[in-house]
Amino acid sequence: MKFGKRLKQHVQETLPGWHNMYLNYKGLKKHVKLISSSLECEISEDEFVYLLDNEVEKFNVFFMEQEEDFIIRHEEMQQRIKRIIVNEPSSQEEYESYEQEMSKIKKDIVDFHGEMVLLVNYSNINYTGMTKILKKYDKRTGGFLRLPFIQKVMEQPFFTTELVSKLVKECETTIGELFPAMVAVEEMTKATGTVAGEGIFKNTVKALLTMKEIRKGSSTHSHFSLPTLNLRDIELIRSFQFSSPIPII
Amino acid sequence: MEAQSALSFQRSAARQFNNHGAASARSAPLDDKYPKFTNPQPNFSTGAAGHIFSSSSGISTDFNVSSVIPHSNLSEKAPFTSQSSVIRQSTTSSQYTNETNNNSWCTDSLSDFLDYSENTPIQSSNLEHSIMPSEDLLDYPQNAPIQSSNLEHSIMSLPSEDFGKQSDWQDWTDQLINENDALTPDWNDILIDTNVVDPEPKMSYHVGGSSTNLVQAQPLIPQSSGEACVPLTPTPCGSGSQSKPRMRWTPELHEAFVEAVNKLGGSEKATPKGVLKQMKVEGLTIYHVKSHLQKYRTARYRPEPSSEGPLEKNTTSVEDFSSLELKTGLEITEALRLQMEVQKRLHEQLEIQRNLQLRIEEQGRYLQMMFEKQCKSGTDKFTVPSSTEPGPDPVVGPSEEGSSKSGPDGSQPAKRAKVNE
Repeated sequence: MKFGKRLKQHVQETLPGWHNMYLNYKGLKKHVKLISSSLECEISEDEFVYLLDNEVEKFNVFFMEQEEDFIIRHEEMQQRIKRIIVNEPSSQEEYESYEQEMSKIKKDIVDFHGEMVLLVNYSNINYTGMTKILKKYDKRTGGFLRLPFIQKVMEQPFFTTELVSKLVKECETTIGELFPAMVAVEEMTKATGTVAGEGIFKNTVKALLTMKEIRKGSSTHSHFSLPTLNLRDIELIRSFQFSSPIPII
Repeated sequence: MEAQSALSFQRSAARQFNNHGAASARSAPLDDKYPKFTNPQPNFSTGAAGHIFSSSSGISTDFNVSSVIPHSNLSEKAPFTSQSSVIRQSTTSSQYTNETNNNSWCTDSLSDFLDYSENTPIQSSNLEHSIMPSEDLLDYPQNAPIQSSNLEHSIMSLPSEDFGKQSDWQDWTDQLINENDALTPDWNDILIDTNVVDPEPKMSYHVGGSSTNLVQAQPLIPQSSGEACVPLTPTPCGSGSQSKPRMRWTPELHEAFVEAVNKLGGSEKATPKGVLKQMKVEGLTIYHVKSHLQKYRTARYRPEPSSEGPLEKNTTSVEDFSSLELKTGLEITEALRLQMEVQKRLHEQLEIQRNLQLRIEEQGRYLQMMFEKQCKSGTDKFTVPSSTEPGPDPVVGPSEEGSSKSGPDGSQPAKRAKVNE
């Protein structure tokens, strides 16, 4: 119940174009409820599996599409940075445009980083949703669909996010080189005023908080559940979303 | 507390195991239902294996698995897409059955089968000669009975212009679609006691004939010579005669792409066909190149459209953006650093979460395996399940939940004493 709400919230606030790409948790839950636990459930199981397969396919398609984009943009970003850095400004006018370009690319690369992280988050949320819905199904039907099915899911493209994570890390390296040494988080509180409402940033903040909420201890906590999430600076992070119309807390 | 939770876990696992047993038993009727959806498979070898298969196919259905079985027979005879689809079929069930069979109490002659279960990247050698053998494919009809014609689909026909033999291609793809199932009997020769269940039966559920056969293709490792094979993931092709195989791009592949484009004079001048020829990558189709080129062009000439994208939706943020411009450069930098911190944090947590999830499932699998082992080894024995009593076979394993022996013992009530919980 909680997850469904969180997911819905997350989907509402996510990046444009991503809305339809998330797990249809509510729909699947309805389906599970309809499935009776009688012996006739093989056919329903097939139907259910069909629905799940469709969801997974949806994830895969979207994920790989995004991944391809990221690969391209990542390389382009590198090229762009090289180009800008190479054009060392010699005169005052050049300096201004250099500064402008630098600041633009800094922003772009940070947003790019955020977008990639959001894709990883997308993957994870959908995976979590899948495990939950499968658990519900097994509970409802006394079936044993979850374990083997989730093994399959784990091998799907949308869950194997290694490449995107690698790109994220490379991005971080590049950013580290672009920006001089990172300042401590506390000192950045002054800067919070300037980041209000930034699209990607807002989304990442929300995603982080959503994750924490999803991982709060639940009544159905089992050996298959994730432990609760403890974030440092959680209050600070919460303060970033003051522009959000829908508080996540 | 530890012991308590351990015990409860065993219980739930035992329940699951029970259910699995029940499910398998129940799946027997499924076999009867299958003929409704497809022509009866002549290849169901052992009844037990069949059961496992039907339940496994019910579950794994159109799921594809990452491993590509480097079967030499197949690679010689089948062009890439058909190979991947066949492999899809076989790996789907094979992977699953491998897992279940590891755990299974029913089949034992799976040693050959198990060899194929490993996740292996697509062996380029298998694929290199796989692309064009239209003449090879024609050999197929001899080998295989034509099976279900529910195959509307999932095989992508490769676009003919790539290979220049238009008419041959059409024939070949038609044959391919018909012969797809024909490939499975080959597998049966190799896969003892297991059958590659045609996932096509599931197709009958599919409205409009689209399949949801999923293929996971491994990211490609380019050969040193610059030739490489391309991971293809066939997608549902309910629409149209030629669907685009979904491919998973990698940075290496993209690098090769960029090189090819540059050689041809830049992204504007380069044509998909030219790039395709230049890249010399097996399995890459003009569709892939075309769409990739389009994306590439967009990325070059409108750098970071995404930075405007999300902002468009949220009007307040557009205002903020302009006000952002007015702030000093230093503040912007600080803001960006802050953003980076949060993003890095999120990513870090995501990775941790993912690892946890993987470990959890791994543990579940391990326990399942233990149950199966216990079950198998203790079949003849009549034991009173007890957490303190050593099991019939001393199962040595790093079980964090304490003794997991009493769990599986309890799951076979027919053969064991009453479950002592």
